Amino acid sequence: MIEKEKEPKTEEFEPKIVGFLCNWCSYAGADLAGTSRIQYPPNVRIIRVMCSGSVDSMYILRALLEGADGVFIGGCHPGDCHYIDGNYKARRRIVLLKDILNTFGIEKERVWVRWISASEGQKFAETMREMTEEIRKLGPNPIAKQWNI
Amino acid sequence: MEPKILKVKNGDVTKTINEFLKELLNSGKVHSLLVPQAVPSKKMVFPVLISDSNQLNADVFAPLLPASTARIISKMTKFQATKEPIGVVLRSCQIRALVELVKLNQANLENIIIIGVDCLGTFSIDSFVNFSEGKTPTEFILEAFKEKGNSSDKYLRSACCVCKDPIPTNADITIGVYGVDLDKEVLIDVATKAGEKVIEDLKLDDTKSVKEREKSIKTIREEKTKKRTEFVKEKRSINGIAALSEFFDKCINCHNCMTVCPICYCKECLYDSSVFDAEAYKFLRKADRKGLFKMPNDSLLFHLGKMNHMILSCVECGLCEQGCPSNIPLMDVFIPAAENAQKEFDYHPGKDPEEKIPMIVYREDEYLEVGEK
Ligand code: SF4
Ligand code: SF4
Ligand code: FES
Repeated sequence: MIEKEKEPKTEEFEPKIVGFLCNWCSYAGADLAGTSRIQYPPNVRIIRVMCSGSVDSMYILRALLEGADGVFIGGCHPGDCHYIDGNYKARRRIVLLKDILNTFGIEKERVWVRWISASEGQKFAETMREMTEEIRKLGPNPIAKQWNI
Repeated sequence: MEPKILKVKNGDVTKTINEFLKELLNSGKVHSLLVPQAVPSKKMVFPVLISDSNQLNADVFAPLLPASTARIISKMTKFQATKEPIGVVLRSCQIRALVELVKLNQANLENIIIIGVDCLGTFSIDSFVNFSEGKTPTEFILEAFKEKGNSSDKYLRSACCVCKDPIPTNADITIGVYGVDLDKEVLIDVATKAGEKVIEDLKLDDTKSVKEREKSIKTIREEKTKKRTEFVKEKRSINGIAALSEFFDKCINCHNCMTVCPICYCKECLYDSSVFDAEAYKFLRKADRKGLFKMPNDSLLFHLGKMNHMILSCVECGLCEQGCPSNIPLMDVFIPAAENAQKEFDYHPGKDPEEKIPMIVYREDEYLEVGEK
């Protein structure tokens, strides 16, 4: 028998969140949360990127269209980007992406951006808790079921 | 420089303009002209690069845009500016596209003399080739224009129906027809030093009808803006993932909309690359996740992704829609998306060569709410 990947049947909806974290700040922040043993929900799947400025709109769209319930982008605080202005550019790109999603009535609320530094392990954990709850309230991403896209 | 006029001989506007263009070529002020001209079968009109004035038979008002003229100029100038001056006859949307390509370092305007033409709109290739009103499409659209009627509206491409800027901006010389009595004259408006230099040896008459023109331009802009606003409002129904995916139901993933777009200049598009090819198991896991999915896949990813890459520079020329083999009315989504995105960044593609494309600049003190809540 070939084993097929099946969704586990749980009572409560568990949001799947894809997180793009910049290597120098937010990823280190997440790491700090881990090493400091701060609890946060396991709903986020972390992908390390070199800078929030390297997150092309395609990554975010792909996650959403593949059915992720939320997409998180974490970068250094404005002014602190290790490549000087990557996060300023990321900021504009995300404004544009959300604008386009909004034009076509696709839930832009599923895309979150936060600036989290390497020392903000607590903030990272809190943000993950907050986002998981907000996405839980939104419910599953309807695109997950759309198979003709 | 005060606007000039060409006196129309025997009511033949096209011939009058040809004489003017011929003089330009013969004066040696330009080496060549890039002008729309019929191919030998007379079925189609394409831009031709012409240096022999004896073979000039331009059809500048032919209601057809077979391909992006801005792209053609990019092809000729992106590696090196032309040393000999070339006069290029362009509609307003193609000048806008050219300005965007210059900003993207894909074209060089040195020694390029932009000769803009007031645009009366363009037909689909099919309507143009199979035109059956007993006259040529050019004769037809010029007559409809002179009668101030709307008989040509039914042939116009949707992009042209709602184009709010049919008057060229950033042209060195404009061939004007709005607010001009075409039975008698055609306007030659020279806006730059380069333009002045090109026509300095030609004998042109002065005009008095400038006020008329301003009024006429204002009217056409208002009319078209109103149509465009209604269009955008009507298309709000393409809302939500179900409606949007249904809109693209006929898409066969050929990516021609991207190939013909003047703004999409990348030689290898990310969405054409092998980034999306993967081991079979990745497809199988997706099938497990969704139960089933349509192939070829990622069509909406392409469209939304492409929009993110180019919508701020979209000049609404409608070439994507014209190039779609499945006849998907792409302007229904591109115009609303362009309208919203360009408003968000207060950006006007093609309007000002000095205005920076929003995605390459930023201000520290903007969008402070992003990332904070
Ligand atoms: S997206 Fe379509 S309308 Fe916009 S510039 Fe490209 S081809 Fe023209
Ligand atoms: S040209 Fe038409 S069919 Fe081809 S990819 Fe674009 S929308 Fe799809
Ligand atoms: S390095 Fe962290 S946002 Fe650029």
